[in-house]
Amino acid sequence: MIDVRNLSRQFGDHLAVDDVSFSVRPGRMTGFVGANGAGKTTTMRMIMGVLAPTAGEVRWNGEPITADTRRTFGYMPEERGLYPRMKIRDQLVYFARLHGFSRTDASSRADDLLEHFGLVDRADDLLDELSLGNQQRIQIAAALIHRPSALVLDEPFSGLDPLAVDAMVDLLRREAKDLPLLFSSHQLDLVERLCDDLVILSGGRLVAYGPVDELRGQGAERYRVVMDGSDAAWLRDVRGLEVRDVDGATALVDLDGISPTDLTRAALDHGPVVEVSRARQPLSEIFREVIR
Amino acid sequence: MSTSTPARGAWRLVAEREITTRVREKAFLIGVAVTVVLVAGAVVAASLLSGRSSTEDIAVVGPEAAAIVQSADDGPIAQGGDTSFEAVEVASLTEAERALRDERVDAALVPGDDGGFRIIGLSSVDSTTEQALTAAVSQTVLQANAAAQDVDLDALSAGTTTTTSVLEKSPENEGARTAVATVMVVLFLLTVMIFGLQIAQSVTQEKESRVVEILAAAVPIRALLWGKIAGNTVLALGQVVLVVVAGVGAALAVGELPFVRDVGWSLVWFLVLFLLGFVAMATLWAVAGSLASRVQDINSTTLPIQGLLFVPYFAVFAGNDSLTEVVSMVPIAATMVMPMRLATETVPAWQLGVAIGGTILAAVLLVRLGVRIYERSLLRTGTKLGYREALSLAAD
Repeated sequence: MIDVRNLSRQFGDHLAVDDVSFSVRPGRMTGFVGANGAGKTTTMRMIMGVLAPTAGEVRWNGEPITADTRRTFGYMPEERGLYPRMKIRDQLVYFARLHGFSRTDASSRADDLLEHFGLVDRADDLLDELSLGNQQRIQIAAALIHRPSALVLDEPFSGLDPLAVDAMVDLLRREAKDLPLLFSSHQLDLVERLCDDLVILSGGRLVAYGPVDELRGQGAERYRVVMDGSDAAWLRDVRGLEVRDVDGATALVDLDGISPTDLTRAALDHGPVVEVSRARQPLSEIFREVIR
Repeated sequence: MSTSTPARGAWRLVAEREITTRVREKAFLIGVAVTVVLVAGAVVAASLLSGRSSTEDIAVVGPEAAAIVQSADDGPIAQGGDTSFEAVEVASLTEAERALRDERVDAALVPGDDGGFRIIGLSSVDSTTEQALTAAVSQTVLQANAAAQDVDLDALSAGTTTTTSVLEKSPENEGARTAVATVMVVLFLLTVMIFGLQIAQSVTQEKESRVVEILAAAVPIRALLWGKIAGNTVLALGQVVLVVVAGVGAALAVGELPFVRDVGWSLVWFLVLFLLGFVAMATLWAVAGSLASRVQDINSTTLPIQGLLFVPYFAVFAGNDSLTEVVSMVPIAATMVMPMRLATETVPAWQLGVAIGGTILAAVLLVRLGVRIYERSLLRTGTKLGYREALSLAAD
């Protein structure tokens, strides 16, 4: 588990990260969101040790983190970086060997990852001969090459088409099933789909942190009711709930005392029903609320 | 799940990568080949041009003149000047003049009006030829006259010989030694410049392509620095050894063994000092690379190092002997100037000791300081850093 404790970073007069604390738990994907300049990259670089914090610390399984531990992490920096004029397979083998893999192990690991991304026949191509999407795949492969103990990925999905995103998610699920995994992204629908935990930064400060379900469930239980043809205005007369909005046959209500079963029963008493469903608050809405 | 441990020998992998990427470059291989061929060719050419076994063709009229040319060919002047004389018999003075004009002969020896001999050249007469022929004429004629007068020439000339000796013998082959010294200096400058810039460039490229952030997350930054220094030192020393071996091989092939014995030790010291000097400067080049944020910045960040290289170079070529003596003991500058002195003169052992000791000390200090600056400037990707700024980083 990675614990970020009261981390701050000052650049000149500018406080880029201000007293941020959160944990990245193993086996859970932690999404890291925030507007541009919110301090995500700075925080990730401090976690990786390529930038020294002004204050605060990073802990690993309860102990202050060491350089040796950090070297077992997989890291994908915000600014992509590999050797442009080096063959991609050689490049992956090189990074694996830098992490202490033998030549044989490094080669089979590189082949394994190339195969997963369907890039086996490009193995001897130079990196800059590849499309941007494929370069991105090699970048993530470089982060995974040494079977890392944790993953810190800065915008791993940016610039990828939906199929490529799926391939990468598959790979992360396979490779990082039990690992602490922190990734930042601007694609909130993706974060919503993938993440178990969520960290939201705004202006260098932590504004929301916790399991996605909890963050979304904060406040009342919200349900959507859609009648088949008839008006949904009758809900205004039901006790134990509060109507947020009625628009013809569709209504949005917060339950306040009655159960979803009671709500469904009451709806059936008023005529044919198309839908009674839990109305999850979209992440984008939470995001807008907390950073306001 | 994790099987990864940080590699202890990471610097070796970095060095290996530096070497393998470089030796796969066509430009590098061509450069090495051209240097080797140039040096070997220069040695062979110098040996051939140094006047060895040049032959002067002399047109002669009459058997007497032919005999004189033969005796000039056997004489001490011909032997000393590595020149041989060959008589080309012609029928008359006119024929001899025509042969000269057609440049079929280098000079002509014809009977003179006063009963002596006349040496004729086209526009001038080579001084060795003139001396050798004059001596041969006087020797031959004197011998003939003595025999005619029934005089014992040996008895007559007894005690007339003089020999010359000097108290301080200057080394033989002075020109060739100076040439060797110059080649060593130029080779040093070129190799340090080329491989130094290569180090700086490879550091900056890693910064520019941002791969350095991944590298820094994977291995200690100093392992990156050590690897780069080690890899490029192996390459540079390899190239210099190759050039020296090619030069010596070419010299041996054209029969210059005595000369190679003469300068052999200075070549060995050259390689030792080159190694020390290169390692000392390699850190500086790496630091210069880490200060740049783009490859275009390298020119300005490496300027102080280029100055460090060229100041002793100009000091030696523009200054006098005592300045050279001092510069040859200044740390790092010594690695360029000392081999030059070793090739051309006898250097006291203590001066060589000072040169080597000082350079080792400087190398240790520079590497230490360099590592500190490098570790702090490598991940500064924003803008170009100045040396003052970098030093203040190192003091943190």
